[in-house]
Amino acid sequence: MRDFEEELRRALARREPPQDFALRVLAMAGSQSKLTALAQLRLWFCRVPMWQFAPALAALLVMSGGGIYKQHERVAHGQQAKQKLLTAMRIAGSKLHHAQDRVFAIERREMMQ
Amino acid sequence: MVGEGQQRKERSGLVATLASSVTPVLTDVGPPTFVEMLETHKSMVYSIAWHFLRDRSLAEELAQDVFLELHRNWASLKSRQHILFWLRKVITHRAIDFARKRKVRPEISLEQTGEPSVSESGHDSLLSSYLERMVASLPEKQRMAIVLRYQEGMELEEIAQVLGMKTATVKTQIFRALDLLRSKTAQRLGKGQGAKYERF
Amino acid sequence: MKRNVFGFVMAVALAMPSSAFQNVKMPVDLDKLSERASESVDVTLDSSMLQLASGFLSKDDPEEAQVKKLVSKLRGVYVRSFEFDKEGQYSPGDVEAIRSQLKGPAWSRIVGVKSTRGENSEVYLRKDGDQVGALVVIDAEPKELTVVHIDGPINPEELSELGGHMGIPKMRTHRSDKDQSDPHREKKEQ
Repeated sequence: MRDFEEELRRALARREPPQDFALRVLAMAGSQSKLTALAQLRLWFCRVPMWQFAPALAALLVMSGGGIYKQHERVAHGQQAKQKLLTAMRIAGSKLHHAQDRVFAIERREMMQ
Repeated sequence: MVGEGQQRKERSGLVATLASSVTPVLTDVGPPTFVEMLETHKSMVYSIAWHFLRDRSLAEELAQDVFLELHRNWASLKSRQHILFWLRKVITHRAIDFARKRKVRPEISLEQTGEPSVSESGHDSLLSSYLERMVASLPEKQRMAIVLRYQEGMELEEIAQVLGMKTATVKTQIFRALDLLRSKTAQRLGKGQGAKYERF
Repeated sequence: MKRNVFGFVMAVALAMPSSAFQNVKMPVDLDKLSERASESVDVTLDSSMLQLASGFLSKDDPEEAQVKKLVSKLRGVYVRSFEFDKEGQYSPGDVEAIRSQLKGPAWSRIVGVKSTRGENSEVYLRKDGDQVGALVVIDAEPKELTVVHIDGPINPEELSELGGHMGIPKMRTHRSDKDQSDPHREKKEQ
C-alpha cells in the first residue's frame, strides 16, 4: 500500500502556475472596479463600444499590474512586520513588568520583616 | 496545510493571549491580506484544477476566476483557515461543474493509456505521468477525492466537508479508485514490476 | 508612588566601565523547542524590518505611537517564547546557552529573581558608552520559557509600562505576591 500511495503522491505533487499568474490576478482584481467606472464614462460620452479600447486597456493593465503587485506586496510585508513588532514589544514589556513586580514583592516583604 | 485542519489546542497563558493565531512557529500574525493568500495558495488552487482537468489553460482560467471571486468576497472571509477552506471548496466545485458541463473528461479509457517503458531510465517520471493520466480518467467525485487526498494530504473528514459528502462515502470512493488504479498499473507494468502493486 | 527599580539599577550599571560591543545570538537548539511547545512565538526583526514595521505604526493609536517611539533607534528585536503542556520540556542547558553570552564585562544583570517553584526572571543590560545598548530578558517557568533580546538604545522603564496596558490581561498573579508566609516565596539573587 505504501509504495503505490507514495507513487501517487509523487505523481500528484503540486505544480506551479505560470510566473506571471499572480500579477495577472492582481491586475484584474485591481481593474474590476476601474473597468466599471471606465465603461460607464465611455458609454456616456463617446458611445463607443468597449471592445475597441480593450487592447489598449489590456496593455495598460499589464504595465500597471507590476506596480500594483509591488505595492500590495510591500503593504502585506509591512503589516506582517508591524504585527510581529507589536507582539514582541508586548511580550517584552510584560516580562519586564513581571520581573519588576516580583522585585517589589520581595522588597515589600523584606521591609515588613 | 494538514496542520490547519487540526483542532487548535485550548489557549491559555500569556503567549496564547498575545498572539491570536499561532502555529508551531509564528508566521502569520495579524489579519491576512489578499496578496499573501494569493501567493500562499496559488499553487494549491492551480494544481487541483490541473490534476483534475489535465489542461493547462483551463486550469489557469479556473484558478484565476477563483482568486477573483476571493477578491470580491474578501470582506466576508474571516481567518486564514476559513480562506483555505473556501478556496479548496470553490476550486473543487468549479472544476467538477466545469468538467460536467463541458464533458471535459480526458477521453482516454484506462485501457488506452500508453504503457510506461519500464526498461528506460526515466521510469519514475513516466510512471508518474501515467498515474496522472489514469487519475484524470476516473469519475469526477473519485478523481477529486484522490487529488485532495494525495495532492493536498487532506484527511477524509476534510475531504467530505469540501465535497459535501459523508466521510464514509469519501472513504469508499477513495478505496475504489485506489483498487482500480492499482490493478490497472499492475496490468500495464507487467507481472514483474506490477507484482509489488498487486500485493496491495 | 511606585519606586523605579530600573532607574536605580540602570544608573549603577551605566556607571561601570564598558567594554567592546557584544552581540547575542539565539541558539539553534532554542528554536527546536517549538516542536515540543503547545504555543510558541518567534519574532526576528532586524533594522530594515523594524523600519518597515515602524512605517505602518499609527501615531493616532496610543499603543502604536508608544512602540514607534521606543523602536526608533533600535537595531533589532528578537523574541523566542514557548508554552508547554507539561513541565520538563526544556533543560537548564537551553537557558544557559543564552546566559553564557551575557557574562562578558559589557553585560550587567540588573534583576535576578528566583523561586523554589522554578520561576526565574532575569534582566540584563549591555552598556554602550553612557547609554543602554541592549536588553535581554529571560523568563523561565516550569511550563514556559521566554527570551527577549532588544538590540539598541532602549529605556526599560518605558518598555515595562507597555506590559501594563497594551490590551493584554493583567499578569498572572503569583502566590508570593499574595501570601507573605508562602514557603515557596521568591528571593532576590544577589
